[in-house]
Amino acid sequence: MTGVAGEVRAELAGIVGEGQLTAEAPVRESFAVDGRTPDCVVYPGSPEHVAQTLKYAASRDLAVIACGGATRLGMGNPPGRYDIALCTRKITKVRYYEPSDLTAGVGAGMALAGLQNLLKPDGLWLPLDLSGEGKATLGGIVATNASGTLRHSYGAPRDMVVGMQVATTEGKLIRTGGRVVKNVAGYDLGKLLIGSYGTLGVITEVNLKLFPLPAERQTFVLSTGTLGIARDLRRSILTSPIEPLRMILLDAGTAGIVRSGRQPGWATGEPEMWLEAGGSKPVIDRTRKELEALGRAVGAKVYTYESEGAARAWQTVSDFRDWIGKMYAEAVVLKGTMPIANSEEFLSLAQQEAQNEKVRMASVAVAGVGILQLGLLGLQNATQAAGLVSRIRKAAEKSGGALAVTLAPADVKLKLDAWGLPPTGFGLMRKLKEAWDPKGILAPGRFVGSI
Amino acid sequence: MKPDTIIKELTAIMGPEGVLSRPEDLMLYEYDGLSALETPEAVVFPTTTDQVVRMVRLATARNIPIIPRGAGTGLSGGAVVTQGGIVVSFARMKKILEIDLENQRARVQPGVVNTDLTLAVADAGYYYAPDPSSQKACTIGGNVAENSGGPHTLAYGVTTNHVLGLEVVLPDGEVIRTGGKCWDLPGYDLTGLIVGSEGTLGIVTEITVRLMRTPETVETMLAVYDRVIDATRTVAAITAQGITPAALEMMDGFTLRAVEQATHAGYPMDSAAVLLIEVEGLREAVKEQAEMIEAVCARNQVRSVRRAKTAEERALLWKGRKNAFGALGRISPNYYVQDGVIPRTKLPEMLEYIEDVGRKYSLQIGNIFHAGDGNLHPLLMFDARDHDQSQRVVKAAQEIMTRCAELGGSITGEHGVGVEKNELMPLIFSEDDLEIQRQIKALMNPTGSFNPGKVLPTGKMCGEIRVQVSTGG
Repeated sequence: MTGVAGEVRAELAGIVGEGQLTAEAPVRESFAVDGRTPDCVVYPGSPEHVAQTLKYAASRDLAVIACGGATRLGMGNPPGRYDIALCTRKITKVRYYEPSDLTAGVGAGMALAGLQNLLKPDGLWLPLDLSGEGKATLGGIVATNASGTLRHSYGAPRDMVVGMQVATTEGKLIRTGGRVVKNVAGYDLGKLLIGSYGTLGVITEVNLKLFPLPAERQTFVLSTGTLGIARDLRRSILTSPIEPLRMILLDAGTAGIVRSGRQPGWATGEPEMWLEAGGSKPVIDRTRKELEALGRAVGAKVYTYESEGAARAWQTVSDFRDWIGKMYAEAVVLKGTMPIANSEEFLSLAQQEAQNEKVRMASVAVAGVGILQLGLLGLQNATQAAGLVSRIRKAAEKSGGALAVTLAPADVKLKLDAWGLPPTGFGLMRKLKEAWDPKGILAPGRFVGSI
Repeated sequence: MKPDTIIKELTAIMGPEGVLSRPEDLMLYEYDGLSALETPEAVVFPTTTDQVVRMVRLATARNIPIIPRGAGTGLSGGAVVTQGGIVVSFARMKKILEIDLENQRARVQPGVVNTDLTLAVADAGYYYAPDPSSQKACTIGGNVAENSGGPHTLAYGVTTNHVLGLEVVLPDGEVIRTGGKCWDLPGYDLTGLIVGSEGTLGIVTEITVRLMRTPETVETMLAVYDRVIDATRTVAAITAQGITPAALEMMDGFTLRAVEQATHAGYPMDSAAVLLIEVEGLREAVKEQAEMIEAVCARNQVRSVRRAKTAEERALLWKGRKNAFGALGRISPNYYVQDGVIPRTKLPEMLEYIEDVGRKYSLQIGNIFHAGDGNLHPLLMFDARDHDQSQRVVKAAQEIMTRCAELGGSITGEHGVGVEKNELMPLIFSEDDLEIQRQIKALMNPTGSFNPGKVLPTGKMCGEIRVQVSTGG
């Protein structure tokens, strides 16, 4: 332990309070990123303390990685340096909540599950289904613009955040947007922060648009046989009048896994299209009828999933990245985004690449949106993994999209960029980064182009 | 700016048809939907991004202001000239470049008229969701600059929720492409930053938007009330039922009488307020929601609820609503339309407040609201030749705006800040909030030549509003 580190800890404890800082090894290790462990972990109890922590860190040129529940802490490139883990999970105050306004403002450290518990008695929710839902905090969710299968009908955090408070490296607390659902006053700086992975500032409060819970829900499963049939089905569903809450395409293996050993009699052993309808009974009955007709036209059978089993299975789908990581230590998880029409072709190319390497691939495609998650299982070493990821990335780019690595062992990450090549406009992104974080203390090196 | 040489150079870039410089031509570009300020020194009409780039390089090198302009329908003065310069009209960049139905996307030039995009895809069963009342004239480029809304943004969000990618010319002439046809492309969301920046951070030359599927059924309902308070209570009650209508609009008696006289849409002349409510989607869902809404209206002392029986009837009801500003222009020499936002549960309270303000300043105020999302458009009637009355309008408007801010709302929900409300930004932002916005502007528009005097406070007018003083438009 160096004298400097001791001094830093004492000064940080002076800011956040003695009990809000720890340097114990097991805790620090739980915040490690790609093999780098921070010198200490701070848990500021208020937005002001976050701002003061950042100001102090900037003055001492200490690198800070912010997180909430740490469920997505591993996303991004390995950090160039890492001194302080700043965990916002103690900032959980509800600033305002008016059910009839369908809005709420909460501390960034509030867990999504906690928010849902608050909203449910009023028949409301924030329609996001994410891995680590119990732990994932709203600050972290917004910082990573994380979305799951409900993306299909509700959009992403980008569409749900109406305002936020952000701590800057200058030690200021600034507000963007407001509390109302419609507001175009001033620059929409919130958009910059959403999905910026903690590289511009630290989100301390989030103001959200809320939604009514669907009255009833029903899951339907369609066996698709081949990706070609899946494509035809996706086309016909998206041009039909039905309005599913969510719709995904699962490969046969993944479909089996997400049923978590509780195989309904109809397990198809084929790629499956899962679709959840929401609303009243007549809406659900109509959806079933339409699906049966659409299924018949392409030779896909429709099964009805009993509701308890379906709810559990959907949660497992949302947890994709988590269980892949837990079941297979060497696994790599990728997120592809592309024009909707190219999803199945890309999936087929990726499957081919994986097969060539004798690597198993699990996949969940939010087919109506053009976002896919791929899990590569049974990789032999970092070189093989990096090579395979680059080839799949080429396929994504060929499909007019992009591919990000959302989970990978540290040695694999050293061999490839988590985000791919910097996009056009990168020069401007770099300038924005320099304006918000002139010393480069926030998650250094982790974002696009090693920002 | 040395007019002659610059005009010559501009003509070399744009061609002889692409530049206006005669005083009588330039006068037409002093105005937008808010007001008239200064006269530009030239108006140019590029047809390509390359022409925009060359013009921007030329102007930036000489520190000449550049004011991008769509159809000039904006209501916050975003397209007016504050200190001379070149107006860039996108009237000749109005091509729909690509319609990609399977991917639910379209790529358009900024001068494409909002409705024209929907018309181009309607037969195939698609539409472009943001629908400002001026949609038959306003351009998608202008919508992007102002982050425009409209009645149907209640369910589907404003322009920023429908734009995925942009081509942008920066002040140094660099052209960047942000986003694209896909969601979640890696990097900072530059698209989201530039949408709504009112032409001050970059000049948009191409836009990729999301197209949506036309719903199977639409039900449009007109709920008529004898008391305003019952209409406002209905609004909150509908939301509380877990229904999100596609649109939920309100007009008070004064406004609807003016509208009825102008459009004969069938609004009852003797009512205190009406709600125009639209639900859409799957037949079964629409039927059920319409019934629920009727029940809510009944519980709130509605006089009658009428459902539009035909597409023509529906169109007529909407025509009345969308031409409401014009209808009021027929009965008052001038009016000033505001764009405040409040949490929707504060509607009854806010309406009473507006009434009080009207009484206090002896002004007739008409109310027309996107009630479902708490976006208010009070219209203050006045005669600009009456100096005293004009002064009272400014004071009344300022009080209404201040109240919106106090209730936790905003000074603009969809019209933008422009030159109208930039001095009011401190009502909702702290000095630190504004400082970071200034930094962003300084970084992207370092010489300040892109649309000067807009959005951020200039500090020259001491927190005052700038009100339309010209026409009843």
